[in-house]
Amino acid sequence: MIVTRSWLNEFIDLKEITDDMLYDTFNAIGLEVGFMKKGSIPKRVVVGRILSCEKHPDADKLNVCQVDIGLGTRQIVCGAANVVNATYVAVATVGAILPDGLEIKPAKLRGVESDGMICSASELGLPNIGSGIMILDDSIGDLEPGRELCEYDTINDTIFELELTPNRGDCLSVYGVARDLSTAFSRTLIEHKYARHNKKIKLGISREASLNVHSDVDAHISCNLAVQKEDSQLPLIVYIRLAMINIPSKNKLDDALEYLLHATGVILQAYDADFFRNDDGKIVIELKSDHMINISNAAETGSVVGVCQEPKTKPTSQNGQIVLIASYIHPDTLNTMIGGSKIKKDDIYYNTSRGSNPDFAFGLSIAVDLFEKYDILDFYEGTLNHEPSRDDKIVLVDIKELHAIIGQEIEKTIITNVLQRLGFRVVNVGDDAIAATVPVFRPDISNIQDIAEEIVRVIGIDQIESKPLSFQECYHSDSAIAVYRAKKTIRNRAVSAGFFESISYVFSDSTLLEQYGFETTDSNSALLNPIVQEMNSLRSTLLVNLLLSAKRNINYTKKLIPLFEIGMVFDAKRDEKEKIAFVWSGQGELESVINHGKPSMMNMPLFLQKLGFVLGDFGLQECDQSNKLIHPYQSANILINGNVCGYVSKLHPVAQEELGLYDTFIAELDFQALMPRHILANPISNYQGVYKDLSVLISKEIAYSQVKSAIDALSLPILRSVYPVDIYEDESFGNNVSLTIRLFLQSQDNTLDDDVIENATGSVLSTLGANFGAALR
Amino acid sequence: MEELTILESSITACTSLDELEKVRVDIFGKKGTLAKEFGKLATLSAEEKKSFAQGLNLAKEKLQATFDMHYDVIKTALIEAKLKNEKIDLSLYNITPNIGALHPVMETMDKIIEYFVSLDFSVENGPMVEDDFHNFEALNLPKHHPARDMQDTFYFADGSLLRTHTSPVQIRKMLSSKPPIRMIAPGSVFRRDYDLTHTPMFHQVEGLVVQHKGEVSFANLKSMLTEFLHFMFGEVKVRFRPSFFPFTEPSAEVDISCVFCKGDGCRVCSHTGWLEVLGCGIVDPNVFKAVGYDDVSGYAFGLGVERFAMLLHNIPDLRSLFEGDIRLLEQFR
Repeated sequence: MIVTRSWLNEFIDLKEITDDMLYDTFNAIGLEVGFMKKGSIPKRVVVGRILSCEKHPDADKLNVCQVDIGLGTRQIVCGAANVVNATYVAVATVGAILPDGLEIKPAKLRGVESDGMICSASELGLPNIGSGIMILDDSIGDLEPGRELCEYDTINDTIFELELTPNRGDCLSVYGVARDLSTAFSRTLIEHKYARHNKKIKLGISREASLNVHSDVDAHISCNLAVQKEDSQLPLIVYIRLAMINIPSKNKLDDALEYLLHATGVILQAYDADFFRNDDGKIVIELKSDHMINISNAAETGSVVGVCQEPKTKPTSQNGQIVLIASYIHPDTLNTMIGGSKIKKDDIYYNTSRGSNPDFAFGLSIAVDLFEKYDILDFYEGTLNHEPSRDDKIVLVDIKELHAIIGQEIEKTIITNVLQRLGFRVVNVGDDAIAATVPVFRPDISNIQDIAEEIVRVIGIDQIESKPLSFQECYHSDSAIAVYRAKKTIRNRAVSAGFFESISYVFSDSTLLEQYGFETTDSNSALLNPIVQEMNSLRSTLLVNLLLSAKRNINYTKKLIPLFEIGMVFDAKRDEKEKIAFVWSGQGELESVINHGKPSMMNMPLFLQKLGFVLGDFGLQECDQSNKLIHPYQSANILINGNVCGYVSKLHPVAQEELGLYDTFIAELDFQALMPRHILANPISNYQGVYKDLSVLISKEIAYSQVKSAIDALSLPILRSVYPVDIYEDESFGNNVSLTIRLFLQSQDNTLDDDVIENATGSVLSTLGANFGAALR
Repeated sequence: MEELTILESSITACTSLDELEKVRVDIFGKKGTLAKEFGKLATLSAEEKKSFAQGLNLAKEKLQATFDMHYDVIKTALIEAKLKNEKIDLSLYNITPNIGALHPVMETMDKIIEYFVSLDFSVENGPMVEDDFHNFEALNLPKHHPARDMQDTFYFADGSLLRTHTSPVQIRKMLSSKPPIRMIAPGSVFRRDYDLTHTPMFHQVEGLVVQHKGEVSFANLKSMLTEFLHFMFGEVKVRFRPSFFPFTEPSAEVDISCVFCKGDGCRVCSHTGWLEVLGCGIVDPNVFKAVGYDDVSGYAFGLGVERFAMLLHNIPDLRSLFEGDIRLLEQFR
C-alpha cells in the first residue's frame, strides 16, 4: 500500500508533523514502512506560463516558446509535440541541475537561442506519466509563474510504501491510513463536504433504471446512473499519483476509478448501461444470490460482487450512459462463498477479501466531487440501494482480563478513549467492563485479544514494561533433548574426523535419483508445485545432494572435500527417516611439509578410520545394498550393535566420472542407530594375558569377516580379542593368501598354562581348517 | 702446592666425559695420585702425619669440587649440544588442522536451543510433511483466508503439504499433552520462494509457553525475548513493533539495532538502523480452541535461524548456506 503525504493531507491535517515523525508513527502503530522516498524536484525548476509558441524556422519538430517565468520572459526551444497545447509548464531555468546530472545552460538550438528547458515529469525525477512535457494545472496548487515547483507539496511529495498485514483491509486506502493516523496523532479527520458543481436540474435515476433484488443478498449495493462527457480530462494530480502507486493509465474512466479506490477504499465499478437495458429500453439491474452474489441483466451475469467483472460489461464508448455501482461484501462472507472455487478473480479481490470500505456515503461523495468538478460524468439524481441488515458486533471487554493479557494496568478511561478514536462505540458495563461496538470497517476484530492488540499498538509497545514470567513447573521426559544432545556429539565427532557439516535442500532431481537407482515418491504423493526441475522431488538419499555439493567444491578449486549431513529422507510413500551421510572426495589430508606437498588420495582404509572416529564401534559385512553409487568390490554393510544400519562404499567409477569428482568415498546410515547405547562393563582380569599370532594360508575368496565370525562362534572364554595384523600375497600361494591374525588370550581366574593356550590356538586353527580349508603357513 | 694446580688443570682441560673419567681414575682411582699420596702417610711420624693428612684432605676436597664443577660444565654443554641438534622450526607445522567445522546455521541453532533448554524449555519435533489442519487450520488460518498468502506453500498430490513454519509442532504438542507447556520446536520449513533473499527451505525455531489463564502476558513476552536477544547479539537495542500473525494476538515484530552500523544506518539494515529478527505474540484464543484448551494463556515466538546466523557471522549470501561451500565452512574451523 503506497500513500503520499499530500494525499494523506487531504484527509488529515499533517501540519507540524515531519516525514520522519510519520515514518516512526507508521512503524509504531503496526503499519510497517517498507520504504520512504522524499520528493526531489530540483531547485530552479519553476512554473512557467507560455505566452507564445511558434514553429522553429529551421526545424520541423521544434517550437520556439516565449515563457513567463515570473522574473521575466525567456525564449525556450522545445521539442515535445504537446507543447502547443500547453499553458503552464515546468521550466528548468539556467543553473538548474536535473536529477540525471544535466545542468541547464543558455544554448543555441539550430541557430535559435534557448534560455532553459521545458521538462517532462520523468526529467524532474517524478514517475513517468506519458510522453511529452508535463502540462501543469491547478490541481497541484495555485499556478504562479516563477514559483519553484519543489514548493508544491502536491507533486514534490513524500512517498511511503506500507507493508500492510493481511488483517488490515481498512488501511487499503489513503483515507483508511489517514483514519489510523488520526488515532495515533489524536487529530480529527478533515470532514469532506460535498458541494454540487453542476447546478443543472437533474433527472431522477428511477425514471430510467430499477434494481431487482432476488433473494437474500448479503451484500451492500448502491447503483448510480450517469452520462459520460467526452471533451474532458482528469487533472494532473490524478496521473501523478497513479504513477506514484504504480498503476498504469488505461482510459479516463478506469483511471478515475482506480484513483478513487485507492483514495477511499470504496469499491466502485462502471458498467455500460446498455448491458442492463431490456427490450423496453429500461435499465434493469438484477441482484441475485446464487452461491455467490451476482449482478446481472435478464440473461447473464455481469459481475460477481467482490470478485470479478466481465470485461464486456464495461463502458465501450466515451459518451453513453453508464451505471456506477458501489459494492461491499463482508470479507468473511466472501471468503466462505469463494471456498475452493477456482473462479477468476480481478484485482479488487485483494481489497474485498481483506475488507473494502463500507462507507458509501463518503466514497460516493468524493467520487461525484471528482467526476463533476472535471466534467467527466453527469449524474442522475438519487441511487438504487440494497443494504442488508447487519447486527452490530459487540465485544465485551473485561478490564482485568485485558490487563492480564497486556501484563500492565491501563486506565479504563485511556482504553475507552483509544477505542473511541479507532471508531468503536463504547459503553460502560459496570466498573470493570466495557462493551465495544466494532466499526464495520474493522471486520478483523472479534474478541478481547483483538482489542488488546489495538490498545497495545496505539499506546505503543514501548509503554509496556517488561516483566519476567514465573514459570510453572513442567515435566518433559518425552522431550527430544536427548536426541538433540546425541546429535550434537556425533556432529562434533564428525568435525574432529575432518568432515564439514553441510545442509542441502530436502528436494532432489527425480531424474538423478532414478539414474542412480534411488526411489522417488509415488505419483499420488508427488510434489505438485516444485519450484525448479532440480528440486522436483523429495530426496530418498542424502548422498546425491552431497555429491553435487562436492562437485561444486571442485569448481571452487577445492582438492580435499569431506562433507557430512544429518537430515530427513523420504521413501516412496513419503515416510520420513533421519539419515547421516558422509562423502569424502579427493585428498586424504591437506598438503603440508610432512607429506612434501603431495598428500595421498583418500582410500578405503583411511575412510573407514575416519568413520570410526564418528561412529565408534562398528562392524562390516558383505554389502547387500544396490544402487549405482556403490562400488561392487569396495563396499560393505555397516553394523552397529550387530544390526545393519547402512553402508559404506567407494563411489562407483561411472558415477564418479559422470559427476566429475575425484576418487570419492561415501557412507549413509540411519541416524537412529547412532543413539547412545546403554553399556554394561565386563569385569577386568588381574591375570596376565598373552598375544598369539597365527599365520594361515587361506583362500582369497574368504572375507575376513567370515573368519572372524567363525572364530567368534567358538565362544572361547579366554579369547578376549582377535584381529588381523598382516596379509601377504605370493605367487607360490596360488589362489591363497597368507593371513596373520593376533589372538589375545586371558583368563579371569588364573594365569594361563601353556596347554590351555595351545588348546585355544588349536581349536581356532581347526575351525579355520574345517570351515575354509585354511592351514598354518 | 704446585702439584695441586697441575692436577686441577688436568681436570679443567677435559672436553668430554670420557677424558674426564680417565682423569678421575688417574686422580681418585685406587692407584691414582691421591691414593699414592695417602700411601705416604704410613711412612710419616705421628706429628707429621697430622698436618700431612690435613693438607691432603684439603687438597682432595678441592680437587673433588673442581671435578664436580667441571663435570656439570661438560654435562650441560653436552645437553645444550643435543638440544641444538634437535632444533625444529615449529612454524613450518603450524598448519591448518585436518578437521572440519559445524555449519554456521546449525551452530547458531545449537546456541538458541541451549539457551532455551537452560530455561527448562523442552525440545519438540514434528513431521515435515504436514496436513492442512496442523499447518493452517488449527493456527487460525482458515482455508481461503488472505493471511495464507503470506506463505507460499508446497503441496502434494494427496493434499498434504510441506510445513511452512514450525508452528504445527505447537499444535501437535498441545494436542498430545496437557498444559503447562514450555517448548521450542527447531527445524526446517519450506516456502515456495527462490531468489537472492529466499530459499525454498530454511530453519526456524518456534517457542511456546502455556500456563493458567491470566498468567502469561505480553509484558512477559517482552521480557523473555529482550533477554534472549541480548544473549544472542550482545548489547543491542531491542524494539517491538505491532504486527499481525493469524495465530497470535497481540502480535509484534522484534527489531534489534543494526549489529553492523550500531544503528547509524548501513546497507544491511537498508539505512534504517534496525534489523527485523523475530515475530511473536500472545497466543490467539482460536488456537487454544482448536486444540481443546480452556482457561489458559500463553505466548509464542518464531525466528529464522539463517537470518540470525547471517547477522551473527556477517555472511552475505543466503544461498551459499545450502551448497556445502567449503570456502565458507572452513572459516568456522
